[in-house]
Amino acid sequence: MGYTRDILTISRWEIRRAFGTMGKNVIPVAVLLLVLLIVVTGFTAKSGLHIQDGIYHVATDQPDIAGLLSGDSRFSTDIAPIRDIEANQDSYDLVITNNTVYVADTDRGKSAATTLSRDYSHYLTSVYNQENDLFAAYPLWIDLQTITSELDFTATQSGQQISVRTRTNLPPVPTGPVEPVPTPAASIGVTSEQLRTDLQQSSTQNSQISRYTDIFSGSESPLGTFKTPDQLSPPLPFDSIILVFVFIFPLYFMSQFYMMSIMNERIGRRGETLLSTPVRPSAIIVGKMLPYFAGMVIICAALTVWLKAPLLILLPLVPVILFFLATALLIGMMSRSFKELSFISIFFSTVATSYLFFPSIFANIHVISLISPLTLIILTIQGTAYTAIDYLYSTSLFWLTGLVLFYIGVVNFREERLFSQEGLLTKVSSFVSTALSRKHPYVSLFLLNALLIPVVFMAQLFLLVLFFNLPMPASLILLLIGAAFVEEVTKSVGIWSLMKRAPTLFTWRAAVVASAATALGFLFGEKLLLFVTLSQISQSVFGSVLFTSLGSLWMPFLLHFGCVLIVAASIKKGGKIGYVLGIVAAVAIHCVYNVYIIFGWLT
Amino acid sequence: MLAILLQLFIALFSSFLMVGLTSMYDPAALSQYSHYQYPIGYCGADSDLKNLLQANGGLRVYDMDLSTALEALKERKLSAVIYVPDTKPDAVDPVKITLYTIQNDLQAAVVDVKLKDVLTRYETDLRQVRTARLNEIPVPLDIPSTPGASSFYEFVYGLLIPLLVLMPAIISSALVIDLITEEYQNNTLETLLSTPIGLHEILWGKVAAALVLVPIQAGAWLILLMANGISIAGAVPILMQVTAVAAFLILLGTITALYYRERTAAQFVYSTAIVVVLLFALAIPGNPLNVIARLAVGAAGPEQWLVLGLVSAAVLLLALVADRFAAKVMRLSQSPK
Repeated sequence: MGYTRDILTISRWEIRRAFGTMGKNVIPVAVLLLVLLIVVTGFTAKSGLHIQDGIYHVATDQPDIAGLLSGDSRFSTDIAPIRDIEANQDSYDLVITNNTVYVADTDRGKSAATTLSRDYSHYLTSVYNQENDLFAAYPLWIDLQTITSELDFTATQSGQQISVRTRTNLPPVPTGPVEPVPTPAASIGVTSEQLRTDLQQSSTQNSQISRYTDIFSGSESPLGTFKTPDQLSPPLPFDSIILVFVFIFPLYFMSQFYMMSIMNERIGRRGETLLSTPVRPSAIIVGKMLPYFAGMVIICAALTVWLKAPLLILLPLVPVILFFLATALLIGMMSRSFKELSFISIFFSTVATSYLFFPSIFANIHVISLISPLTLIILTIQGTAYTAIDYLYSTSLFWLTGLVLFYIGVVNFREERLFSQEGLLTKVSSFVSTALSRKHPYVSLFLLNALLIPVVFMAQLFLLVLFFNLPMPASLILLLIGAAFVEEVTKSVGIWSLMKRAPTLFTWRAAVVASAATALGFLFGEKLLLFVTLSQISQSVFGSVLFTSLGSLWMPFLLHFGCVLIVAASIKKGGKIGYVLGIVAAVAIHCVYNVYIIFGWLT
Repeated sequence: MLAILLQLFIALFSSFLMVGLTSMYDPAALSQYSHYQYPIGYCGADSDLKNLLQANGGLRVYDMDLSTALEALKERKLSAVIYVPDTKPDAVDPVKITLYTIQNDLQAAVVDVKLKDVLTRYETDLRQVRTARLNEIPVPLDIPSTPGASSFYEFVYGLLIPLLVLMPAIISSALVIDLITEEYQNNTLETLLSTPIGLHEILWGKVAAALVLVPIQAGAWLILLMANGISIAGAVPILMQVTAVAAFLILLGTITALYYRERTAAQFVYSTAIVVVLLFALAIPGNPLNVIARLAVGAAGPEQWLVLGLVSAAVLLLALVADRFAAKVMRLSQSPK
């Protein structure tokens, strides 16, 4: 009971403090800025974004064509007699005469032609939409149906094509049972007036703004599955960038406040009084966090309501919020100056945003997209259901990593850590060393490595996301080295801190036992998490690079043990330089082992 | 130092993403699959569409029964199935075909692109048959197809490059807030002021430090982009534009920091203000970002100097304000409380 009361008290203080510092001077300015923001947004929506104005230079001798182009500010158009145009035709991307387009043989020229043909098809649409006989203007309608195929991640990634190439002219024969499908109706079932309004609606969507944004289902036809051939297009990747801006940026903003609040406690040892009270550190941390957490959830809920999206979106966002707050806590506890705070948080937010954003580009296209919770949001907005397994799959790492980081924060929330002015790397190592118990160093090494597994997986998945798009051999090799590097560095962290803490106690015997504990902990965590969440990825070639230790238990244990021991031994012998050399050696051995396993696996 | 390192990392990293993205969505990259003949199931009545499909070299058309074809599609033995009803080309009603494709598949997207070509051609043919029923014939325009055109051209030059080079400017203006508020919050300013250095020197020193970083970082960005094979026409004028914009933003940050002297408040107000300023600027034709985009593609005229001049004038004005404000702050802090 007392614990909960402490948390609530601290939350109340935090809210009062936040409004206190923000109060007098900030709130009027913030209100003014908010009003300005609304005014400016309205103005911008009206006038459009002018970034790409005049990037193409077009010349024509036809006034009607020039009129057609004038609606698109990307073209700066010259109307001149054809003789004048020919005189300096090199300065134009497109020359239009006699209803024919001549394209300059440059990237810019080609891109201009693409843009022009898009504009022209919009122009055609606007003309055809006015026709009395709509089915003369749009004689072909396509009812687009998608079929879900059971083979996914593994199939496309191991190089298997969408189908076998048959040399014969005989149609393929399915192996499964054929279920009778009713013949689709020949009539369209919708009145032509209905279709006309929908067509007009979808053509107006291409305004100045939507060219840059294509906000949510913007590219979706409001006609449902009925489309004209013109409307058939593969899903565009940039919808999700908007989601990042809409949902993640406010979260990032709010977590900055938490970060700052933690940092403020450290300036001039202000937090000393609070620490000297019997309130537990975890209560302080949670209490300070609660208002921000609530604020973030409220902001997200408000955004969801504003977007008229289902509130189910909040489910995948909660672990993201938790993860953001956990990193905010650690960054606030570790940085020595505002400069450092800014840069680490910018760095972190870039990495986190990419992790969230990049896979979700492939929503609807590839299963890898599911490693980002944003994909679940996109799916929800699109009205596609996702399963509890999908949820677990894309959010478990966020939950686990968030909790581990919080744990490290809580055990280090003490005077000697908060108010020291150590360098960043030293600080990380002392944070870890605090997390290691003095009485049972090996047990805590085991636990530490097991707990670090989510972080490792996150880093490795991040590498997967990063290298996934490179050509096949390069992506595999980079992934191989990257994954080994991440694992070896993580395993070495605990040993390094332990050795720093008590160099004299760290005998050869201790090194061996510590290495064994590390290897065991690592293996245990890896196994546990793999079976719970990542079976889909771990079955593909990429997966086997990342998580080779699925086969027997002895081989991977020996590998982990051997590699850690190498690192431990070289630290003991050579200090910092020895550490670097040890890591290089361990990564090399790890890579060789992985290559052996993969090729053994493939053949 | 740390700042530049992190910037460099982010730069490297983003260019990685870029390359990945472009190769993923570049039609040229996708066309490596194009020498495959994609099997298509054709069901229902015979039509001109079937001839068009068969004429396409990238597709192999099989006459099939709908139920069998759909099962084959599910097993990925076909890449798409088309059902065509028995509607005459000159009928009053439209021809409504049904297209079945596979979800969650990148190659299905390739097939979609191929099918779209064929279907658009079929639509044009059908429209030709029904042309007597139209009341207005649109202006004809013959646009040659441009193989190898990157759909990323506009994204790269018209969005990515302007935003990338703007990033150092924004980061530097946030940095100047950190530098100034830090002196206040750690109470180090008084120590500094007790030396012969005045507040003006301290202030302009910090502004200069933040400003110098901008062209270095933006230049690094441009070099990285060029290393990635993205040619940039006017790199030097771009850096001049960015530096001018950065000076404006940094001075804005300086004034905010001097006013609030506390990081949370200053950063909050400043970042909201910057959104307002940027949104407003973007809505004006010929804004610096537009000039940067045009410089990058090599389509900027002499008007770039006018924009540069205007921004510089605004910078001078703001510098004057900042200087006055600093003097006022100075007097206030010296007067007895």
